[in-house]
Amino acid sequence: MSKLFKPIKAKILDIIDETPTIRTFVLKPEEEFNFLAGQFAALTCFGIGEGFFTPSSSPYDKEKIEFTIMRVGRVTNGLFNLKRGDYVGLRGPFGKPYPLEKFEGREVFIVGGGVGMAPLRSLFFALLHDLSKYKKVYIRYGARTPRDLVYKNSLFEWQKIENVDIELTVDVGDETWKGKVGVVTILLDEIPCDVNTACAVVCGPPLMMKFTLQKLLEKNFKEENIYLSMEKNMSCAVGMCGHCRMGRYFVCKDGPVLTWQEIKDIEDPFI
Amino acid sequence: MFMIFVLDEISFRNLLHQWLNSYKIFVPEIFDGQKVPNIAILNKEKLERFSLSVFENIRVREPLKAIFSLPKEKVASFGNGEDLEEREKVLLVGAKVCDLRPLAVLKKMYLKEDFVFEEFKERLENTLIISADCPYPQDTCFCNLVGLKPYCEKDIDGVLPDLNLSFVDNKILVEVFTERGEELLKDKIGVRKEEADKEILERRREIRDNAYFTLKKINEKELKEDIKKKVLEGEKDFWDKNLESCVECFGCLYVCPTCFCFLLSDYKVEEHYERIKVWDTCYHPMYARVAGGLNPRAEFYKRGRNRFHCKFSNFYSDYNFYACSGCGRCFSVCMGKIDIRKILLSL
Repeated sequence: MSKLFKPIKAKILDIIDETPTIRTFVLKPEEEFNFLAGQFAALTCFGIGEGFFTPSSSPYDKEKIEFTIMRVGRVTNGLFNLKRGDYVGLRGPFGKPYPLEKFEGREVFIVGGGVGMAPLRSLFFALLHDLSKYKKVYIRYGARTPRDLVYKNSLFEWQKIENVDIELTVDVGDETWKGKVGVVTILLDEIPCDVNTACAVVCGPPLMMKFTLQKLLEKNFKEENIYLSMEKNMSCAVGMCGHCRMGRYFVCKDGPVLTWQEIKDIEDPFI
Repeated sequence: MFMIFVLDEISFRNLLHQWLNSYKIFVPEIFDGQKVPNIAILNKEKLERFSLSVFENIRVREPLKAIFSLPKEKVASFGNGEDLEEREKVLLVGAKVCDLRPLAVLKKMYLKEDFVFEEFKERLENTLIISADCPYPQDTCFCNLVGLKPYCEKDIDGVLPDLNLSFVDNKILVEVFTERGEELLKDKIGVRKEEADKEILERRREIRDNAYFTLKKINEKELKEDIKKKVLEGEKDFWDKNLESCVECFGCLYVCPTCFCFLLSDYKVEEHYERIKVWDTCYHPMYARVAGGLNPRAEFYKRGRNRFHCKFSNFYSDYNFYACSGCGRCFSVCMGKIDIRKILLSL
């Protein structure tokens, strides 16, 4: 049998509870597994099936690989039933990475919503690897409640890094929350960067993507500089099975990140 | 110019007989009273009563993709040893042009630069293809509308059969397209073959032209040149109206030889796990649904048009030929009598 659909094994080193419904799985692949920021992988929960996730860890971390996953369906339910020391399958990497070379010398404006922060964290780590190459990195991140913010502690640490500007918001605050309240687009009322050259990178739930895009366009970001993470049903991840068809693209092969310029003619791309 | 030999029926039967020693041979087989053949495996007993005229029928009912990408197959297993599959040498005799383009489609989809569906590749390498002219197109045929002719003169979108058969006045013209094809004819007992002369080639030309003429009479109206754009323009009402009688049995897509979609599913089998690949269809309501419930093609018209977008626009944009070979299998099985030609022509 071909190796195309057979994953390698990866041991679960740790499981971190990020929020009540989101966990980060820290994996140690049994074989070398390299990826670039933005590429995704297929995780097999043995006997249940595969789910497709972009790693949330640094592509430069050769010791382990992390996936931050929200419990939503059959496979993620299966993954949430696993414990430290168990094994999952890992297949990939697939898709195109973020075009970091295009970001060089420019401001990178990252907008995340909920668990959509996962691939963006990997991107952020990749940018941090040589921050001097980029003019400035902005993160605008929103979640439903303070409890739903992932990587909370890290976010506050990253705020201290020079040339990194982070703002957070929650839809509904609580007694512990001192920050902004409102959907993530309220963080886009003031755009501190040069929209003629800045690259915006967006990942989050469909509605958040839709309204964030609208706001970015209103603020005159260039269509070709808005990078959007597309979520589609997938099965093979290698452009053969047809499931992730979106207009003329296969999201697994041509994405998962596509620019607004590439997909603007597609009807309802975010559904 | 390829070599073309003339064989008599006995010589061709002797060839089939000897090929049976080395190959699993697929041939068309016609059942009593039927107009369209089914695919069958040839054996020595069957060969005794096998009529060569079956090769002059239109394509078989079944899509030949089933030989190269099985409807259901294990593609990975975990927790037990690797299964070593013995690959049989296969000889596919009587494939039509509308069976060759689908292989070209599958090749584009399954053999990519960076990813290769090995099982498909191996089966393709292990299968020798002998195509046959299609002298009597039926009213379901429309290969002429998608840029094909009912006979094979050269490669079809990159797929070249090893040999081609043309039946001319009780003789069989065997055109040799490949070295593998040449090998098939070498050192065979009881096979008298002569080089085709001008006269018999002219007769073949005549028969071929007639077949193409028949086909053009069946399908007088051509598809619009910009069909790949037009197909994207169809509005909801257009698809609702044209697909109204669809009962969503998915028959059209399962018999479609160019439909390449599949689904991977995992199962626990005793103490190990298996990954199974099954053919899938984009008409299925769950096909594009993501975990969490969002479904970009929840409404049927969106799934219905996706099939047309895929075959006549998206695939064409990428590879410069339609993912449709005009075989007519889709509406041959359609319970709602939906004729793909009518939809394309009304765009």
